[in-house]
Amino acid sequence: MNKKKINWGYFGSLILSVVLALAVGAAIMAATGYDPLNAYHELFRGATGCDNLGQVFTGLFTKRQFGNTVEYAMVLFLTGLACAVGARAGIFNVGGEGQLYLGAIVSAYLGVVLNGLSPWIVIPVAALGAMAAGALYAWIPGVLKVKKKVNEVITTIMMNSIAIYFCAFLSNGPWKTSQPNRVSGTDPLDNVYRFTQLIRGSNLTTAIFASAIIAFFIWYVMSRTATGFEMKLTGHNPRFAKYLGLSVDKLVIGSMVVSGAICGLVGMMEAYGVRGNYQDGISNEYYFDGLLVAMIMGYRPVGIIVMSFFFAFLKVGAAGMELNAGVPGELYRIIQSVVIFFMAAEGGVKALLKVRRAGKEGAKHG
Amino acid sequence: MEKIVEFSHVSVEFPGVRANDDVSFSVNKGEIFALVGENGAGKSTLMNVLYGIHTPASGEVFVKGEKVTKFDPKEAIRRGIGMVHQHFMLVPSFTVAENIVLSREPKKGILCDRKEERRQVADLSREYGLEVNPDDVVGDLSVGLQQRVEILKTLYRGADVLILDEPTAVLTPQETAELFAVLRRVVAERGMTVILITHKLYEVKEISDRVGVMRRGKLMGIHETASVTAEQLAELMVGREMAPTPEKEEMTPGEAALEISNLHADNNRGQEALNGLSLQVRRGEIVGIAAIEGNGQSELLEAVSGMRPYRGKITVNGGDISGKTPGEIRKLGLSHVPEDRLSTGVDKDASVSDNLLAGKEKEPEFSAHGIHLHPKAIRSYAQKLYEAFDIRGAGIDVTAGSLSGGNMQKVVIAREMSFGSQVLLIAQPTRGVDIGAVEFIHRQIRTQRAGGAAILLSSADLDEVLSLSDRILTVYEGKITGEFFPPYSKTEIGLGMTGTSKEAAHE
Repeated sequence: MNKKKINWGYFGSLILSVVLALAVGAAIMAATGYDPLNAYHELFRGATGCDNLGQVFTGLFTKRQFGNTVEYAMVLFLTGLACAVGARAGIFNVGGEGQLYLGAIVSAYLGVVLNGLSPWIVIPVAALGAMAAGALYAWIPGVLKVKKKVNEVITTIMMNSIAIYFCAFLSNGPWKTSQPNRVSGTDPLDNVYRFTQLIRGSNLTTAIFASAIIAFFIWYVMSRTATGFEMKLTGHNPRFAKYLGLSVDKLVIGSMVVSGAICGLVGMMEAYGVRGNYQDGISNEYYFDGLLVAMIMGYRPVGIIVMSFFFAFLKVGAAGMELNAGVPGELYRIIQSVVIFFMAAEGGVKALLKVRRAGKEGAKHG
Repeated sequence: MEKIVEFSHVSVEFPGVRANDDVSFSVNKGEIFALVGENGAGKSTLMNVLYGIHTPASGEVFVKGEKVTKFDPKEAIRRGIGMVHQHFMLVPSFTVAENIVLSREPKKGILCDRKEERRQVADLSREYGLEVNPDDVVGDLSVGLQQRVEILKTLYRGADVLILDEPTAVLTPQETAELFAVLRRVVAERGMTVILITHKLYEVKEISDRVGVMRRGKLMGIHETASVTAEQLAELMVGREMAPTPEKEEMTPGEAALEISNLHADNNRGQEALNGLSLQVRRGEIVGIAAIEGNGQSELLEAVSGMRPYRGKITVNGGDISGKTPGEIRKLGLSHVPEDRLSTGVDKDASVSDNLLAGKEKEPEFSAHGIHLHPKAIRSYAQKLYEAFDIRGAGIDVTAGSLSGGNMQKVVIAREMSFGSQVLLIAQPTRGVDIGAVEFIHRQIRTQRAGGAAILLSSADLDEVLSLSDRILTVYEGKITGEFFPPYSKTEIGLGMTGTSKEAAHE
């Protein structure tokens, strides 16, 4: 709590692992006959839409590519924060993907059913519906863990498939659009309900503002409130938390429910933003990317937001790199994996140092 | 009589402690030899030397007349030494037969011969009269049967000297009786030698031929069991001197703040740990629990703090705590220094400041409406406690896990004593704590007493209980066996702790 000082050691090792990952990527490209400099330039162009740094200062906010990068970063940090909220209290939500799907389909359905009402009613109702769907779906594994000691990782993974296929059933069956030119998915939402595009031709919509508020709220709760403090103690050592008199069960279930609600809301943002309806494959494993970011950053809210932008930059830029430099887009996965590898190794090195220190102290005190 | 094991001037040192100090004695072939002593007297250490786990700093060990040169369990097994540890070394998902032959499986080519394995185990079991079903999965067996598997394992490896480390601690009375029958049989019919580590004196009287008493790493004497009384053994175990009368100001205890009547609770294995225990602690009084580990004192404190289900009645400051959570019990005015600080007393991954604050984060001083934390107020509060309790580390921002044991304990003490609770449960206040901090912690406990707190103290260190308590209750097998007032007689308290006092005798 209230850590004023920036952890420079951690920050430094983060930068180093990013640089090393880019170097490994360059080495692979050079070895396979591509020009790394050109490729990275195309990566940069693909992610920002700018040819050079000069343009970044003048025209970044009009570039379609940049809009897409920010939009993807938004999805990553929201899902990453959702994962972090649970993990902070010691429950690992792997089911965000299913919660996201349910949020998307429930909100899309509400938008269709309530068609004709004022957006001032429909959008809040859809958002609440999405959050409720995600929250409820996360509540089940939360309660099972707390009351019956059922491992939440297994239940949430399994529940992902249930949710995704259930949504596929709805969107191909009872809730399927009646429009003849569409094979599946719900009816398209009326344009008045959809988030407004911020950059022409990009995925970036006004949902980013809502996301920023949510991210701030999560950060605030986790690092500046008594509840966030209690979540942390519970996540670190539940026995200690119980002994202290905290309501451990409520904290664990509560953080799981919040995690699910955020995921549901991300689903709504997708449906009401980029897509305009619910459709199969509305999330391309977004939650797992977010979960990865959260894990790499040790569930620290600010770190998750920063890292989300980096990963979004890589992923969106990879498309440009593939198109214009001919480098396979899989390279993005390699770089991402190498960053993760170095970050994990960083943790390993730290743990090793800790053990050695502890061993020395043990010898000192006997 | 043939000496099968001989210790000659054996000393074992661990960093900072002399676990065994110039111990010499021998065990004869075909006898049951009991080794008794308090917690930490050095019994297990000595037997671990024989089993090759520890190497003595000086002295010699002879097995069957041969000097042991290499201290290694494999070597010990080769010499015919078998040991059954307090915590079983079995693979729960394997069958009985698989566990027994583990690492020495009968082979058919390069494959294990499962048929032969079962046959051998069945034969062994019949031969020694230790009935087991070779096909049972060990994890499904009762503790008594698991122990039998452990014994068979040592026999399978050809042991003729069997060391049992507190074998009855985990057993029911029926299982204990069966174990003793088995031990008598293997000694009488097979000529085996048994060394039994225990602190239950009636067991010593019941089964052993000779008994060695250890205290603080030293051997206090060897006796023919028939020629020594349990009282004499208890006295040898704890010493006979009178405890110094604690120096502290006179207090007239007030009304009872903690009342326990007819308390029953189970331990983690589901066996009865507290058996109708009743006690009272009044304001301005320290009541010490003197008991050998595993006699229910841990369960007692856990039950009172809300960490363990119980039957019976407990009131804290007049409020019945039945059905209450630890948090609700704390609100009645109870604080608790738990016996295991690492697993219960601190969050070692959180900062020292967080650990000092924990439990108070919703008080108006530290958060607005129980929501928005006031980092400044928290820091200055943590800093104040850090200094007042003389915690020595790299400040309040480092993790609690980076502190030494003594300083971590000061964090726990500082936090628990800062609630201003009228009832304090204190378990093992100075276990693993450096000498300097011990005196400090004792002073804090006395300060709380002077402030009118009702304190229930439990410690494995009898001298600590003697020096702090206004009144001592001895607990044995979940029951109170005696009540003592200063000046304390160690002999009488020792009798109470070992269940040999007059009150306990006629049960």
